[in-house]
Amino acid sequence: MRNIWATVMATWALFAVLAVLAWTRPLPAPAPQQVPGAVVVTGKNGTSHLVVVQSGATPAHATTRTSPVPAG
Amino acid sequence: MIAAGVPVAWLVARSAGLVALALFALAVAMGLAFSTRLLGTRRGKMVLGWHQTIMWTALAMLVVHMVAVGLDPILNFGPLAIVVPGVASWRTLPIAGGIVTFWIMLALAISFHVRRRIGQRRWRLLHYASFAGFTIGLYHALGVGSDLTGARGLVFAGVAVAPVVWLVFARILLPRPGARPAPASRPAPVPVAATQAPQRAGDREVVHA
Repeated sequence: MRNIWATVMATWALFAVLAVLAWTRPLPAPAPQQVPGAVVVTGKNGTSHLVVVQSGATPAHATTRTSPVPAG
Repeated sequence: MIAAGVPVAWLVARSAGLVALALFALAVAMGLAFSTRLLGTRRGKMVLGWHQTIMWTALAMLVVHMVAVGLDPILNFGPLAIVVPGVASWRTLPIAGGIVTFWIMLALAISFHVRRRIGQRRWRLLHYASFAGFTIGLYHALGVGSDLTGARGLVFAGVAVAPVVWLVFARILLPRPGARPAPASRPAPVPVAATQAPQRAGDREVVHA
């Protein structure tokens, strides 16, 4: 009976801690909004053009880890 | 329903490790509470029974922790690195400490059932290793545990260690309630030769003077 009680309580404790850890897990950061930019390009003949440039930068990769874990 | 992308093995490993350490601290505290005999005979027997049960439960949680670590795809530990100290390439020393703690806990849990075979002295010596196992396990948790960094780690360590330290001092300093007080003065043992030798008339007066 004591063993059953201990197993049940330990399992509940395991799931409770698991739920807390999962709940407080840092969510992946949302990708930054891509804002188009504009640059002025001057041609060979001296004419200037306004060129709209889309943001091509790769958004920061969010991990699900709370600590860096390198592969062994 | 488990959402996609949730690192289940990683979460199970962390939670099982925390529960295992808490249970190990509880088992050590219960063993000390029994050995101080402050609880009385009836409660002491009950605590002793729970001490063994909690020890096995802590060991089971530790096995869950190790298996989950082994199954985590990012940690990428091999099966050997989980059970052999010093094989893991990442944070080798604290991880080796955790593995050593596992083997000490396993030996302690088995020792309950082979106490008569190994004898009281060996059993007691093995039980002293539980302090080392507890300390090394705490070092492992604080060294690699991602949930016990900073103030949280200190609070957890304090809550786990404080009862154990208090009970160790109680075990050493407090007199045992069941122990008989030592006699104030014991009569000097009489040598066999003296008992066999013919006594002179004045000898008895000299002895009791």
